Amino acid sequence: MRKFILILLFVLSLFSCGTDTDTGEFTVGSDYLALSNKVVLIDTVTVDMSTINFDSLATSNRSRILIGNYDDPIFGKVKSDSYFQLSTSTYALTSVGSDTESVNYVFDSISMILKYDRYYYGDTTRVQTFNIHRLTQRVKPNTEDDNFYNNSTLSYSPESLGTISYRPRPLQKDSINIQMSKEFGEALFLKIKKREITDYDSFTEYLKGLVLVPDTGNSSSAIGFSVSTSKVRLYYSKYQADDEADSYILDFQILDATKQFNSISSDKTGTILQNLPISTSKLSSTLTNNQGYIQSGTGVACRVDFPNIKQFKNISTNGAIVDAELILKPVNNSYSEKYPLADSLTVYVGDNLNRISGSLVNSAGTAVYGKLSQKSDEFNENVGYSVSIGAFLQKEMLKESDSRSSLILTLPGIAQSVNRLVLGDQKHLNNKIQLKIYYISY
Amino acid sequence: MKNKIVLWSCFLLMSLTSFSQSISSSPYSLYGVGSLYDSDFGYLPSIGSSGIALPSDTFINNLNPASLGFMYQNHFLFDIGGKAISTTYQSSSRTEKRNNFQFSHLAFAFPVTKNSGFSLSLRPYSSSVFKISNLKLPIADSQEYYYVSAEGSGGLNNLDFSYGYRLGKKLTLGATATVLFGNTVDDRAFLVSNAITTISKTTDYSGVRATLGAQFKVDSTFTVGTTFKVPAKINASKVQSVTSIADEVQSSIETDVASDVDDYYMPLEIGFGASKRFKNNLNVTLDYEKSFWGSTNQSELYGEFVNQDRFALGFTYSSKKNARKYWDRIGYAAGVNYDTGYLEVDSHRVNNASFSVGLNLPIENTFSSLNISYSYGQKGRIANDLIKENYHKISLNLSLDGIWFVKRKIE
Repeated sequence: MRKFILILLFVLSLFSCGTDTDTGEFTVGSDYLALSNKVVLIDTVTVDMSTINFDSLATSNRSRILIGNYDDPIFGKVKSDSYFQLSTSTYALTSVGSDTESVNYVFDSISMILKYDRYYYGDTTRVQTFNIHRLTQRVKPNTEDDNFYNNSTLSYSPESLGTISYRPRPLQKDSINIQMSKEFGEALFLKIKKREITDYDSFTEYLKGLVLVPDTGNSSSAIGFSVSTSKVRLYYSKYQADDEADSYILDFQILDATKQFNSISSDKTGTILQNLPISTSKLSSTLTNNQGYIQSGTGVACRVDFPNIKQFKNISTNGAIVDAELILKPVNNSYSEKYPLADSLTVYVGDNLNRISGSLVNSAGTAVYGKLSQKSDEFNENVGYSVSIGAFLQKEMLKESDSRSSLILTLPGIAQSVNRLVLGDQKHLNNKIQLKIYYISY
Repeated sequence: MKNKIVLWSCFLLMSLTSFSQSISSSPYSLYGVGSLYDSDFGYLPSIGSSGIALPSDTFINNLNPASLGFMYQNHFLFDIGGKAISTTYQSSSRTEKRNNFQFSHLAFAFPVTKNSGFSLSLRPYSSSVFKISNLKLPIADSQEYYYVSAEGSGGLNNLDFSYGYRLGKKLTLGATATVLFGNTVDDRAFLVSNAITTISKTTDYSGVRATLGAQFKVDSTFTVGTTFKVPAKINASKVQSVTSIADEVQSSIETDVASDVDDYYMPLEIGFGASKRFKNNLNVTLDYEKSFWGSTNQSELYGEFVNQDRFALGFTYSSKKNARKYWDRIGYAAGVNYDTGYLEVDSHRVNNASFSVGLNLPIENTFSSLNISYSYGQKGRIANDLIKENYHKISLNLSLDGIWFVKRKIE
């Protein structure tokens, strides 16, 4: 029995010894470690670039009155008219005291107050001119849905109700004020005073809407104004009153934002993009100086395809794309202080006919954007938008069907701005698109 | 008797659990099926693990199955051991000390007839415990890097069935059937760009290997021996899961996919040994063994393998036979061992050199003894991608002589 006790004591004493934990600071043979699981970086995968054209963009209800035009050497002439319908909360003059007194109100003036929303694109040092016209047609969509599009137009009377020529100061100033036609104001005032306009219906029947039309003569910028705070203000006062307190205002605003839209037109004649095909087709970058183009407002977008991604399955028997980075480089001299680069790119997933199935998402299902690395550097070599497309490419690689998805790149605010971007493709001289795929075999 | 069965099973259970947590964590365990254990029985650790020519008379000699032919009748031998190791890991930039304990072996042997014996032993063959934290590695053909963290565990076990037979007075022949089994677990995490990929792999190994041995007593003081280990294939198969973590979301790439991996090959190993006793109290043992790892065509998956030479020299001294005083019965031992290593890392061999001293403390008036051995050794070298391990090792082997089993039967 003593021996058993001896053995047990022996074993127990062995178990009681502790073992120090390994912090893993020592490694031998890092080459060997890389052997069973190879991590490779592949940057030679073919990326095709092309330019596409969305036939229409819904521009109503975008909270921006966009007015202006500029002549772009690459994209041609771009022009934005803004249509809207006004309304107010009370279609009546102020009633103080007895009814008989209201008779004594007189019209003073009418003006449009447009509040800058800080958006601008183009040369704001140049004078911009635009006119206010009266719509001869109700602000009502022709289409089955309730949207107006960048190519929607409404008829308006040629007579100008007001005009302004000004130097836009969207960041320094708060608003601009446009004196409107006295006749127009007087007539509107009388309609209300005489109780011929008493509600929304009678008002919109009388004043169907307004349109702001830039003068193509000298404008070279597009300026954004706020839909919610811009207004037409009617000034009136008591007859023969010289007291400030006896002056009154009546504001007309865009209370229904769906009744406001920007009609953004583009004339690409003579530019490299003049042969941009219909919306289900594409114009390869090989035909457009090895460049892809994006222009907000007019529906020009850049499409990127990965024709050989399925061949990745043949790299090793088992492997996965763990991460991938697509770096899109804006072409030198296609941007400047006046035509600044947007901070990000919006990325959609589309099919061969440019039908968008949704935003590009990461593994967590949240939208992926292209992030601008830096605004500029000495040679603009590192200026680029980086998009993380690992999850997308892994899915594309494993997809059973033959169909391939492409990425469609636009700028944020595609329907309410006119920013543009020119990107280089893989054969571009200075600003090549780069695709880095991190692949691991297992 | 019941009591004993309970104790024995309890004991076996404990030893088996400790097998599974074999904890030698050497950076070299990354290679092959892990770092190989040296778990020798009796006083062999004290004499530099030499002893191909030693008989299994007072302890079980695990180095040569032929030794079982020299077992004494009516003796049931039992051996159990453990090691405490204190290792200093040294690279060109840092030094770290770690202590650990390893279960060494469990074995018993008994004579079958008056000229043959059988033994059964269980011991760890290898340990693949290692850890790598955030190692920065270059991505091939690029300026970029990725990071690896890895953790290995598990290892292979060795179950030996040995039989030795004596032909006449001088020659014994023996054979061992070795079952190698076990699994290694390898969990790796790769941080590549902004995504983490984890690869969790369990590889199962199983295989059988034969060892043949012979010993020849030239005269009463001089014995020679040889062993011949047959090349063997250890079948390997793995079960692997791969997941990817990107954008804080984990997605599975493959889950528990079973597949074949390259099998592990054990080489042909030929050993020679001699044992000579001088003046009845000094015994010298000398071994040489060559392992032909180079001809195994081992898959590069396991590393770069080269032929290995192993030299061992040992001395034992005991003052007198049948001494009256306990102190006079204590045996003293010393030995050296040099091993060129079978692994080549960055075209450097991972060699190993050690010396050892030990005591053999007899228990009662049988062959039972407690063997304590201390050894100091060096493994590897400091180079670019290599590290040096300096270790102090204390081995405790309890060798029990079970003559009492017979006694009980008589009672």
